[in-house]
Amino acid sequence: MKTPATVRANRRQFLQGVGGLTLVIGSSGLITACSTEEAEQIAQSEGTDLTANIWVTIGTDDVVTIQYPGTEMGQGTSTSLPLVLADELDADWDKVNVETVTVHDERYGNPFFQNMLYTAGSLTVQAYFDRIRIAGAQARRLLIESAADRWGVPVSELETEPSVVVHPVSDRRLSYGEIASFTEAPKALPEIEVEELKPFGQHRYLGSDIPRRDVPSKTDGSAEFGIDVQVPGMVYASVLRAPVEGEEPIEVDDTAARAVAGVTDVLQVPDGMAVVAETYEASKWGKEALQVTWSENSPFRQANLETDLAESVRRAEDMSLSGTAWRSTGDIAEPFADAAEVIEATYQSDPAYHAQMEPMNATAHVTEDGMAAELWVSTQTQSLSILGASEFLETTPDKITLHPMQIGGGYGRRTLRRQKYAEDALYISREIGLPVKVIWTREDDVKTGAFRNAAAQLMRAAFDEDGTLIGWHHRVAAPQVLEYMNAPRWEASAGRDVIAMLGSESSRYDIPNFLAEHIITERRSRVCAWRGVATSYTKFAAESFIDELALAKNTDPLQFRRDLCHNNPRALNVLDNVAEMADWSRPREGTALGLSLAGYSSTFGAGIAEVSVDRISGVVTVHGFWLAADAGYLLQPSNSEAQLEGNVIFGISNALKERINIQGGMVQQSNYYDYQVMRMNEMPNIEVRAISTDNPPTGMGEIGLASVGGAIANAVYAATGARVRHLPLLPERVLAALAS
Amino acid sequence: MANFIVNGQAVDVDADPKTPLLWVIREHLKITGTKFGCGVGQCGACTVHIDGAATYACLTPVAAVEGREVTTIEGLSPDGTHPLQEAWVAEQTPQCGYCQSGQIMRAADLLANNPNPSREEIVAHMSTNICRCGTYNRIISAIQRAVREA
Repeated sequence: MKTPATVRANRRQFLQGVGGLTLVIGSSGLITACSTEEAEQIAQSEGTDLTANIWVTIGTDDVVTIQYPGTEMGQGTSTSLPLVLADELDADWDKVNVETVTVHDERYGNPFFQNMLYTAGSLTVQAYFDRIRIAGAQARRLLIESAADRWGVPVSELETEPSVVVHPVSDRRLSYGEIASFTEAPKALPEIEVEELKPFGQHRYLGSDIPRRDVPSKTDGSAEFGIDVQVPGMVYASVLRAPVEGEEPIEVDDTAARAVAGVTDVLQVPDGMAVVAETYEASKWGKEALQVTWSENSPFRQANLETDLAESVRRAEDMSLSGTAWRSTGDIAEPFADAAEVIEATYQSDPAYHAQMEPMNATAHVTEDGMAAELWVSTQTQSLSILGASEFLETTPDKITLHPMQIGGGYGRRTLRRQKYAEDALYISREIGLPVKVIWTREDDVKTGAFRNAAAQLMRAAFDEDGTLIGWHHRVAAPQVLEYMNAPRWEASAGRDVIAMLGSESSRYDIPNFLAEHIITERRSRVCAWRGVATSYTKFAAESFIDELALAKNTDPLQFRRDLCHNNPRALNVLDNVAEMADWSRPREGTALGLSLAGYSSTFGAGIAEVSVDRISGVVTVHGFWLAADAGYLLQPSNSEAQLEGNVIFGISNALKERINIQGGMVQQSNYYDYQVMRMNEMPNIEVRAISTDNPPTGMGEIGLASVGGAIANAVYAATGARVRHLPLLPERVLAALAS
Repeated sequence: MANFIVNGQAVDVDADPKTPLLWVIREHLKITGTKFGCGVGQCGACTVHIDGAATYACLTPVAAVEGREVTTIEGLSPDGTHPLQEAWVAEQTPQCGYCQSGQIMRAADLLANNPNPSREEIVAHMSTNICRCGTYNRIISAIQRAVREA
């Protein structure tokens, strides 16, 4: 069956190979297989309705090239996802090449994100797993059938070894490459039942900790990040951005800037001034020499974290305000009205900065007519980099040639539709007609960052006369974060702001009447998904609150949660695992334990922190952290553990000391000396357990974070009797809680 | 003009003498394994060796390396086979990888002066270098592996 397909012209290069077989994969498996030459013809013809499109080519030289639709940022999916296909195909992994897709094509898209190429939410494996497995198995069957036909033997007599079809009876062998050279497009594609796929636990590669392809280049300096791009004829630009969002330069003295040797241009960009120079350092010195008077008229100048958060608290607690339901089960009105006991508590969390090690940067070369561009950028989303750039230039997406680079830390920061750093480079390049590399200083990166939003949360619980928890109300007062990140996606989400609300669903607990709702507050800074999206603060509130309820009911916090999870075996399992790891019931001297059950989407996780608190200074020391996570079948167990550890460190760092403070619309922090992140000598003893279960694989990249805030806050309470309800748990907040 | 030696090669760079060595290496010489993270000596991503000693390239004006030997991550071995690099691969240490050049250079400096460090000594020495992905435990394991297998 030859199904014509619309293929982007710039994939032709991929299809030009050494002959061979090209596989087109749809949303439920293989759509077609054809010779690579035919695929090239198809690429030039008009398209029909292929629903998705991931290409695999088996070259006549046995090399299997797999297109990877995500981005690699150290989570390892550029290895693990291709491994899934290689495993079902029974390809020799040493003969597999992985290439990253560089075009915006919804047929490669992630169905969780409107079919955009978008790597976030720990969803890459989960999004593509089924279709890749089936396609791999179909392709393997195709090769076997083709060999059977060539040899004139029954299919049932054939087996495969990696990249070879074997007929043991006659001791004949054909490599996949040889088969690819004579295989015609099949009249009908093989149908594979799920039962025919390799069972979990019987894979050749999955589960065996195959070394990640991206690692070696990260040890010898050869890995190329966005900031490393070198384009012939390229100049550099540094941008002096308005100190407050929405302001403009109204008076500029650029005399000193232009006097810096090597500076070639000074020009206004949408919200700042750019200095262009032959060298990076000249552009930076030029920028530092600019004298600018700013308009100082932005409403964001009123932004002040303390008063804004107080207003968020007011809104969270104002029961006359309601919002879009994030999760609604039963009806909370009656349970709360008739309750024997209602317990309430309000939690607050400050903004957080991603603090990714590679500051924002981009290199762009815009054509003379301003309607096309080449863009080099570290991005978590090929699609949004292309769409955002095309919208900014007011051209069409096919006019953007994207080079997605290695990412020096994503954590959500590199997922915006409108990527300011890319727009800087595009704007300047269009103005001056040269390729331009724009590098933000760390100070730029901090002061004009897009942060995890501040939030105030009101938790309410209703108990009946028997002491049963019958109603749960979680009000999250937060801005419309998704709207800022990606307006079209926001329009399609019916008011459900996953970035502001994720984690407030507390879905492991059996609570008959449940409402989590989003109380909208004004946006007071640039905002963006942070690692774990909202779970770092929603679980801080929910899991601190569960402990407060357990205390009110004189119940051990572990037992209280076990009771609520009575019908959720996976939740019980992670709880029991982490309790065993930490030896929960052993009394401690000088330290205390705190527990949190905090899942992330479909992944289960539970964490325990062991802390001590200095009652004079208020300093919290985390001595140990244990984390158990169940993300279903583990494709790369050791890599999963690395992710869990990394998450925990990220989370502890944030829970203890990270905050962005905004005064008069201006971010008060500047660099790593005043936005401090955890260093090696501050790391507690960390033990993680990645539990492989017979469930579809889900994400490991963010689950560790979710439990950290609640576990530490609960441990602080256990150690001191002081309940701290404001993240981060700064010493002054601990002291205030001790005093009250 | 700045004259110095990078990874065994003599270079002659036309740069303002106060230009941080980091930018001379990265953008003039286009040797980009050494990374920019903070520009103020807080993160360690720019760590190079100057005459064998670990230094922040972001805080070193190029004039200060006149006639001296600079080693970057690319010069640690000709082909990625320094024991630390091999240990880093064996332990699968890097995640995003951006800080790792600096980490390895810092670790090489440790082992050059202390070939058999205790865990405490490793931690004390390496805490100059931030890893936001949180690979600290595997950095420690990799250093310990390199010591064992040297």
